[in-house]
Amino acid sequence: MKQRIEHSQNHYLRVAGICLFMTISSVAVAQQNATPSLAPPPVTSPAEKAAIQAFENQVKDYVKLRNKVRKHAPKLSKDSTPEQIHAYRTTLEESLRAARKGAKRGDLFMPEIAAYIRRTLKNEFKGKDRKDIRDIVFETELQGVVLRVNNPYAQSAELSEMPATLLAKLPQLPTEVRYRFVGTKLILVDRDSNAIIDFMPQALP
Amino acid sequence: MRRFFTTNFLIVAFVIAISSTPAQKPNGNAARSTPTSSPVKLALPLKDGSLRFAVIGDTGTGSSKQHEVAEMMARYRAAFPFEFVLMMGDNLYGGETPRDYEKKFSEPYKKLLDAKVKFYASLGNHDLALQVNYQNFNMDGKEYYRFKKGNAAFYALNSNYMEKKQVEWLQNELAKDTSEWKVCFFHHSPYSSARKHGSDTQLREVVEPIFVKYGVDVVLTGHDHVYERIKPQKGIYYFVSGAGGRLRSGDIRASALTDKAFDRDLHFILFEVTGDQMHFQTISRTGETVDAGVIVRDRN
Repeated sequence: MKQRIEHSQNHYLRVAGICLFMTISSVAVAQQNATPSLAPPPVTSPAEKAAIQAFENQVKDYVKLRNKVRKHAPKLSKDSTPEQIHAYRTTLEESLRAARKGAKRGDLFMPEIAAYIRRTLKNEFKGKDRKDIRDIVFETELQGVVLRVNNPYAQSAELSEMPATLLAKLPQLPTEVRYRFVGTKLILVDRDSNAIIDFMPQALP
Repeated sequence: MRRFFTTNFLIVAFVIAISSTPAQKPNGNAARSTPTSSPVKLALPLKDGSLRFAVIGDTGTGSSKQHEVAEMMARYRAAFPFEFVLMMGDNLYGGETPRDYEKKFSEPYKKLLDAKVKFYASLGNHDLALQVNYQNFNMDGKEYYRFKKGNAAFYALNSNYMEKKQVEWLQNELAKDTSEWKVCFFHHSPYSSARKHGSDTQLREVVEPIFVKYGVDVVLTGHDHVYERIKPQKGIYYFVSGAGGRLRSGDIRASALTDKAFDRDLHFILFEVTGDQMHFQTISRTGETVDAGVIVRDRN
């Protein structure tokens, strides 16, 4: 009798274990499939990993400098007036320009990360979505946009929409820094001051 | 005799000339007159306790026509006191100095602002991120945010920069949202029959599955400077409302998506939520009702 009970208990434990395993697996699959187009690209080579790490370090250094400089800008709240917003933005822009005197193109988009980004974006431009992505990026009107590192992106110019699928494939950025396409160029801008931090030509195929 | 007639002719001509000059306001601008003095024709139930709001998009021009739309909104508000306005982005075109904020937002909508109507903005592709800090856009300092009114939850998204953390935020918030109505509003249109931009299929690919999974009822967008009510897509009602200040006349190329379209003039939309029904009325700059109807929420 005891053996029969133990046998039954083992059986139920086995069933419960299988059910638990299946549940965990299905949740993992569901999460992965929730937005498959936003999955990051597989990073395969040590060289790629090193390039991404170097880039992320450069961006972090920029953010450290930026936040140090930002302490001297007027405070901004969620209930600010246009005058306060304007004062903050212009102070930050001027302070950053002074702090990054001598900044030049390629300081962050170094050759290795630029090559990685080009390869990644080229892969994303394959297939049926190619036209849709191109339409989104290239429909932006860019008159008056002059790209100069350490200078603001033209306030009067429209901003390109960053396709979500491309954003997901690029090295992730902190909140203070944004990617933006200007034609085939990829630029890094400061979210608040709108200053161009760096840019790389021919990012898009 | 000839001199007599010549002199009198000149006097008469002069009198006619000065009486045709437009009336001048003290600040030197020509008086802005509404295009019509036709009465307000409400096509909404106006039930006690209902949730009432307005929708505008792509407004930030500062033009006389934007003013006229704003004036029409104020006239309709006298009959239909809506509580707040949703903005679909492109809130300020061509610059964001303090004067731009006045000219393109606080002056046109002064009557509504003075009446304590709240504006909830989303960001368009002509908007800098710092607009999230502007007191009168009520964005809580965030590019994407949520607020609740009555039995409806509203989600403002930043479709310019749909990064993974925004997508995750949206999923997490919608997953726990038990509101009867879920409304998302943002700039770029997942569905649109306009020629200039059209459907943003890239964006649709990312957001639509989330909207469907978590029971979003209505999606409001702008970017295309037209009005279009899209046929329900996977149970969701989409409205393109991108002509609150800028118009692309003739831009609609009606398609299988289109339930109703209007691209001859600027417009705004009024909504009224009563229980399981969401009534809407789309009104042109001149006060013409270009669309009206009701969305009935499926309780299941």
